[in-house]
Amino acid sequence: MASRALQKCVRSLARPSLRLLSANLGMRAAPIPAAAALRPLSFAAASRRTRWLSQNPISSGVLCRQYSDLPPLTLESIKDRVIYVLKLYDKINPEKLETTSHFMKDLGLDSLDQVEIIMAMEDEFGFEIPDAEAEKLMTPSEIVQYIANKKDVYE
Amino acid sequence: MASTAATRTAAGASKIVKPIFSRDLDEAKRRVRELYRAWYREVPNTVAMFQLDINTQQGRDKVREMFDKNKHVTDPRLIDMLVIKGKMELQETIHVWKQKTHVMRYFHESEEPRATDFLSKFYRANEP
Repeated sequence: MASRALQKCVRSLARPSLRLLSANLGMRAAPIPAAAALRPLSFAAASRRTRWLSQNPISSGVLCRQYSDLPPLTLESIKDRVIYVLKLYDKINPEKLETTSHFMKDLGLDSLDQVEIIMAMEDEFGFEIPDAEAEKLMTPSEIVQYIANKKDVYE
Repeated sequence: MASTAATRTAAGASKIVKPIFSRDLDEAKRRVRELYRAWYREVPNTVAMFQLDINTQQGRDKVREMFDKNKHVTDPRLIDMLVIKGKMELQETIHVWKQKTHVMRYFHESEEPRATDFLSKFYRANEP
């Protein structure tokens, strides 16, 4: 019974390769519990998807693997993440924060505070920002523009 | 006497000296920022490696305090010298050449604060 529930989860998580997966389920039973345990949040979505799948089964002979990758960045999402990280910083007043607020002039921060902010952005977006370019980023909108330039995000 | 002193200071203000690393103030400030980044990233590893009884935020505040002590310096050569000393401390901390007591010396835990007002100095004055 547990194995059948796990089979349903696997079938829902990799939709296009339905036929092949159901054939390989016997061999893949061992790694599946680990994968299923790591994704508790997706069970609700998985149960919805299994109901949809049982009504309209997809037949596709093409093997399509779904590697885990982040959703593509948009300017809007970058801006949201930058503002979120800045609001978590304790030296910034979250009410006074806007996209055009200058760190030194409007928010009264230090140059070392600005270094800490840029390091938080590095940790958030996962790539290094060299110091020569980091010292010029003085407002959140400049940070968003820089990240969009580096990550080739355009609209 | 006063005129020679004035000429000496006027000559000293425009003296060209050999730089240590950075040629101007901007480069020196860049080195300071790089050092701060390195220390900031190193603090959680230090707290874990030496099993210190502080948390990461206290460590980072102490790093900021040590940097703020020299905030007023404007001479690029002096800034370079301070950066070099900071890098030496960082190297010793990263490679665990220091020990827990050396790292905790920054926190002045077992030192008594010096007496500043008259009454504390008076009480301390006649101690054997």
